[in-house]
Parts: sequence; structure tokens; C-alpha cells
Amino acid sequence: MEILQHHLPGKRTVIPYYAAAALSLVIVSFLILISLTDFKGHFFQPGILAITHLTVFGWGTMIIMGASNQLMPVIADNKLYSERIPVISFVLLLTGTCLLVHSFWGFELGAMLFTGAFFILTALILHAVNIFLTAKRAPNNNIIIDFILTAHIWLIITALIGITLLLNFRLGFLPADHLHYLKIHASVGMAGWFFLLVIGVSSRLIPMFLLSRKEVKKYLTAAYYLINAGMILLLIEGMMLHSIYGRVLYVALIIAGALFYLAYIWHCYKSAIRKKLDAGMKQTFIALGVVSLPFILLIGSVLFVHEAPVSLISAYGYSFFGGFITTLIMGQTFKTLPFIVWMHLTRPNMLAELQPKDLYKEQLVVLQLVLYLPGFLLFLTGILLQSKFLMYPGSILMIMASLLYCGHVLFVVNKLRR
Amino acid sequence: MTSIEITDPQYGDKMRLMQMLSLVRDPELDLNIVDLGLIYEIDINKEAGEIRITMTLSTRACPAGDYIKAGVELMAKETFNNYSVQVDITFEPEWSADMISAEGRQELGW
Repeated sequence: MEILQHHLPGKRTVIPYYAAAALSLVIVSFLILISLTDFKGHFFQPGILAITHLTVFGWGTMIIMGASNQLMPVIADNKLYSERIPVISFVLLLTGTCLLVHSFWGFELGAMLFTGAFFILTALILHAVNIFLTAKRAPNNNIIIDFILTAHIWLIITALIGITLLLNFRLGFLPADHLHYLKIHASVGMAGWFFLLVIGVSSRLIPMFLLSRKEVKKYLTAAYYLINAGMILLLIEGMMLHSIYGRVLYVALIIAGALFYLAYIWHCYKSAIRKKLDAGMKQTFIALGVVSLPFILLIGSVLFVHEAPVSLISAYGYSFFGGFITTLIMGQTFKTLPFIVWMHLTRPNMLAELQPKDLYKEQLVVLQLVLYLPGFLLFLTGILLQSKFLMYPGSILMIMASLLYCGHVLFVVNKLRR
Repeated sequence: MTSIEITDPQYGDKMRLMQMLSLVRDPELDLNIVDLGLIYEIDINKEAGEIRITMTLSTRACPAGDYIKAGVELMAKETFNNYSVQVDITFEPEWSADMISAEGRQELGW
């Protein structure tokens, strides 16, 4: 019997992203181990730049793009606009990330760096266009689609600021200190791209996975406007005003938005029918708890009127990517990937015997968390206290977790070969 | 969720069909679609050799909707070999968690 599969995108639009992201995470964790000394110093140095960009593009953005190619048809109740664009975007993003990270690592600010940045920007624009055109054909627009589309706009703005910064390396045309713009670049990327996208996608998935009976959508609407107002103020303040009051106001707006989002999730959880959480959902909720860390560190850095200590700023950035984003993605991978693989494997006569949960090992997801979480906390404390003694075991634990995660992802993907 | 009265002249056939349909599981919730309350109506026309099943999905854009529908069709054909089977998806009324059976609620830890 044939299955219609009217919304199911092809394997090539999703699976390569997951595999490349898992390999990137392993490389990131090894690079961290050999760059421990760099983490004791200023964040603006080649090793940290390379690790950050590999984390952002090779790991976070890579897997989010793959997952959004799968999820957007579900959220928009429509087919993916193009299945060719994700393939082109993948090749460009992967090649661009390799070139960019290699250039940063050796701090070679030449053609390779600009080629990599251009490839990445092209990949992001193509991906965003595909997502916009898919959403445009959605029968009903909603706040979740707004989150996802706005996140893509911030992604392109982040990339454009990044390319401007690269040009500034060579030409030095920006009026203020290079580090000032670097902070704007990082903040727009974190709050505008990653955080908005995570809110959009999780607001759809969490109530679906938990079978929530109550979704307080007005909290999401409040979160959307508060965070975006904060982001716009961040740009205006950063580019023109340079005032401490502006900084306090945009941080307050973004944190208020985050609190509304957490209130929405809390209501979903409270009204959930499915109280038994699997390992993937447990890790997701831990990640949502971990999101408080970067916000606490952000408030801490804002309290310094002139210049916050570099260890605090490094810890803030690390807690966002290494803590919130990585923990969330590691958990959500085993909520989404087995389902995606299952949809390509199953047949109607197998619905009774093959389920997504049969395609991965729940115990390995638990072990992955048991290794990663203490590793991350040790490393974060190491950054704050400038202690290699704490960073070293933290880094080893994170390597073990990333190897386990990568092996597990490839194990699930390999099921497609049968 | 459909409830089959014992006074229904097709009680036996419908229960047999429901038993087969309960082999189809929602892949995400890992609960069978009968306890989940997705089956709204079953109509068996013996004279015409037709089975019509009206069902819903837990969300409108359920990614596994096509699989579940195909699974229901297959199970109905396996139960009644020579019958033609039609499966209609409806969202009137929209599915809600209150439609989950007592057994289903227990399985989900509600």
C-alpha cells in the first residue's frame, strides 16, 4: 500500500545536516580541549573565534536548518517550497564553515576567509527564502510562524554585521572599537536568531510532545514583541546611542520576553497529559533551566557600568552556546531524528511493530546528559574562575558526551540503509 | 471517541474491527489510536460490501497522518477481506485530550 506522504521532505533535505552537525560537535569539543589556555584570556583571539564560529554554523545553525526543513512543512501545513535549495544550502554552509573556521584558527584574513563568509551568507539567504516561501503558502498564519520568520531575518542581519566586521579588519572604517560591534554581532545572533527560533519551534513541539491541554498563546505574543523590541533597541543603542540606560532597557525587554516564554512552557507542562517524560524531553527541560545562566551572567555584565570582566563575558557566551543551545539540541535530536528516520522507513503494515523509539537507545541519551551536564558546569566554572584545573576535566567529559552523541546520531541515520 | 453499544446490530463486527485498529499506534505518543480517541465513527454496509471509517488526527498538520490513515485502511481490509474501505479524516469536532480513554490516560501517566 502506498502512503501519500504529502508533507514529507526528502532525506537529502534533512539528514546530511544532522550528520554534519554531530561531527562538528565532536570537532568543537576537541578544539576546546586544545585551546584551554585561550579560555583563560580575552575572548577576542583566533582559537576562540574559530571555536565559536564552528559552534554557531557547524553545530547550531547546521542542525537547526536541517530540522526546520523537516518542521516547517508541519508548522505551515504545507510542502517545503523547494527540495533543491536545502541541498545547495548544505553544501555552501558546510564548505563556507570549513573555510571560515580554518581562516580564523590561523588568523588568515585573506581570500579564504571572505570566500567562506560569502558561502555562508549565500547559504543562509537561500535557506531563509525557502522558509519564507513555504510559510507564505501556509493556510493559517500564527505567532509560531512569526517567530521562525523573524528569527531568519535576524540571522541575515547577524551575518551581514559579521561580514562588515571582516571588512573592518582589513579596512578599519567603523567609528567605534571593533569589540563594540563584535558584541552587537554576538548578541543579535544569540537573541535574534537562536533564541527566537528556539522559542518558535519549541512552542510548537513541546505542547505536541506533552499533549498539553492549555496553550496560553498571548504569552507567546508578549514574548515576541518584547524580545523584538529589545533587539531593535539593542541595534539602535549599539550603533548610535551608546548609553547605559539603553543597555539596561534592552536587556530588561529581552529578559521580560524570555520570562513570558517560560511562563508559556510552564502552562504547557502543567496542563500536560503526558507526565512521563522521556530522556529527550528531560534534557529539553534541563536546557530551559540552563537558559537562566546566560541571563544571570548578562545581568551581571550589565551591572558593570564601564567594562565587565572578560571572564564574565566569555562565560555568558559559553553558557548560551555550550549550555542552553547544546543541551537543548542534544536532547531534541533524539525527539526529532528517530521520527524523521522512522517516516522514511515505515510502512502501514509495520505501524504495530516499528516505532520511532525503537530506532534509538534511551539509555544512551541519559548517559549523554550525565556526561555533558557536569562537563559543561565544570568548564563554565573554570572560565569564571580562570581555572584550567576545572576546565580540563570538564572538557574531557564534554568530549566523551559528544563522541557518544555523534555515534548515536550515526547509528540512527544508518538505519536508513536497511 | 466512538462508543459501540452492545445493542448495535453490528456490535460484533465493529468490536472486531476496533480490536484490529488498536494495533495501529501513534508513533509520537506511542499509544494506540483507539485509546487515543481518533476513531469517530464506523459504518459497515454488508450489502454493498463497504466499510467507512471516520477518524481524526491529534493535530491538523500531524506529520504521521498519512501513515496512520494508511494503517487504518490496511487493518480494515485485513479484518474484512472482500470489503472496500474508505477512511475519512475530519476535524469536526477537533480532537482533544479529553477523548483519550481511561486505559490510554493510565498508559500516558495522566
